[in-house]
Amino acid sequence: MTFEDFLDPLISALLLAGIYAAMSVGMTIIYGVMKIVNLAHASFMMLGAYFAYELFERFHIDPILGAIAALPVFFLFGMAVHRLLVRWLPKSDQPTLASLLLMFGLSLVLQNVAYLVWKNEDRSITTSYTLSSYHLGPFGISKVRVIVFVAAVVSIVVLQIALRRSWFGRGMRSLIQNPYASQIVGVDDRKTSMFTFGLGTAFAGFAGALLALLFSFSPDFGRPFLLRSFVIIVLGGLESFSGVAIGALILALVESYSIFIPGLEASYQPAISYGLLVVVLLILPKGIAGLLERKWRSG
Amino acid sequence: MKTGLPRLGAKTILPFVLLLALLVLPASGIKPNIIRILFITFVWTITSIAWNLVGGFTGQVSFGFAVFYGLGAYTAGLLINAGGNPYFAFIAASGVAVLASFLVGLPTFRLRGPYFAIATIGVTEAIRVIMGNLKITGGASGLSIIEHRQFRQVEHYYTALVTLALAVAVSVLVAKSRFGLALRAIKQDEDAAADLGVNPYQAKLWIHAIAAALTGVAGAIHARYAVFIDPSGGAGGVFAFQTGISILLMPVIGGIGTVWGPVLGGLVFGIVEEELVVNFPNIHLLLYGVLLILIILLEPEGLAGLLRKLFGLFRRPSGDSESQRAY
Repeated sequence: MTFEDFLDPLISALLLAGIYAAMSVGMTIIYGVMKIVNLAHASFMMLGAYFAYELFERFHIDPILGAIAALPVFFLFGMAVHRLLVRWLPKSDQPTLASLLLMFGLSLVLQNVAYLVWKNEDRSITTSYTLSSYHLGPFGISKVRVIVFVAAVVSIVVLQIALRRSWFGRGMRSLIQNPYASQIVGVDDRKTSMFTFGLGTAFAGFAGALLALLFSFSPDFGRPFLLRSFVIIVLGGLESFSGVAIGALILALVESYSIFIPGLEASYQPAISYGLLVVVLLILPKGIAGLLERKWRSG
Repeated sequence: MKTGLPRLGAKTILPFVLLLALLVLPASGIKPNIIRILFITFVWTITSIAWNLVGGFTGQVSFGFAVFYGLGAYTAGLLINAGGNPYFAFIAASGVAVLASFLVGLPTFRLRGPYFAIATIGVTEAIRVIMGNLKITGGASGLSIIEHRQFRQVEHYYTALVTLALAVAVSVLVAKSRFGLALRAIKQDEDAAADLGVNPYQAKLWIHAIAAALTGVAGAIHARYAVFIDPSGGAGGVFAFQTGISILLMPVIGGIGTVWGPVLGGLVFGIVEEELVVNFPNIHLLLYGVLLILIILLEPEGLAGLLRKLFGLFRRPSGDSESQRAY
């Protein structure tokens, strides 16, 4: 094995980690504020992919612009979902069975609607730059992967800054830290929840549109990515932003380097991330962030 | 009200009357298609009852029952193909499912609530990927089951019916036993249950094993009838995520945590599924989704809860004590 063979997966892992983080961020903030494990996240991503697809096919709008356009559209969609369905759920500081099943029911509905509209066939978006690549010494780096990576990272950084600076962001973070105390000091729980759900959905749509640039998709598109999002947010400790970034990187690295495991055929590869999910849940229930926290406290 | 001998009220007798009616039904010269629908409904209902043992009584929501269903189907299929007795194959199928239940349960029951649920998604998907690639399962192209016997629909019907009766009996026994009380305690508060001398981890493992055995047999019975099984992720694949969803949907529709709710849910689901898939193949996911949302938001106790409320309207006020006991 040459040095290039070893470095190549590293580059692709780094590029993959960006989009992995973007798709998990929405799930993390919804979980953090509302303690809802959003099983409909996959369907939101799937709809985001079709959103970019339709804009591209009908109006020849670049999918990156399509992804950006998805942000406000899915924000409103998410707020509507919250208003119609989510807010009727009983409040809890732990994820409930009812919330799990409600979001699951919603995902069935959305998936079926997508089947009706787009039929059960694989689609993909092919832009002028899909097949071109940059050359860096011995490495060929796909241009579209770089673009997606940059878009994902920029979006996360912007979100992070926005949440740090704005009143809403502070309210949201205080709800994550302590829902009771933050309500006492005047954070509007219901409004913040609705905004958060909108924001989480917006990021799901955005990530879905970006993923559509990299992979072909069908109405059943989201589930593998939903499971990856689980792995990532569990690795990241469920509620932390930097945790998501680390989790995304770890998962991308594991997936990219699993080609080196001897005797493992490529068709078994998806089983790795699912297996990793269980392992992580077991040994790191609070994720990497929890582990570091413990280290810092004891050290 | 005295509580001496068990009252022989309508509630006690009704299931036996129903069972008797279903036993003599094939003799009445009914159409084979109805028998087929009933057979499939029975198979689904067995899995519904099994899921409810874990998800309803014990409060551990699992998305992973397709694993037991699929393993049961494949175990039976392979044994029948090897010339084994089908009934022996059913027992072997439940055995394999029980082993799998420990494999799944030993790690995942260390987790609580939604973390357990998420972990079961991971385990199911991993096993589906593996089973879809193994040579012994026929890979993604599936497995044909060849039995060197005459195909008799009535035999299949009775096998499913007897197993269903067995499943109901297990459910009743669990609900009434000390073990069942322990499970309910775990559902309400795991820590409190542990303080009171219940070992939650072990109790969950055992009920999971019982449920897996029933689900495995259901998969085996279905495989023998269907003659062909495939492990794909699409609809109809025995390991499909969809299968796990159907198994979870039935008790939720019927009313989780009760003995008869899952039976009701299974019967409704089985018949509706057979009719829906034929008539509206394009929108059955949509209907299930809407149904699930409506049940969660409006009537979390499912059809059983709805019926209880409807009948409660016509009942004397003293009937209240009975409806309260059911909660």
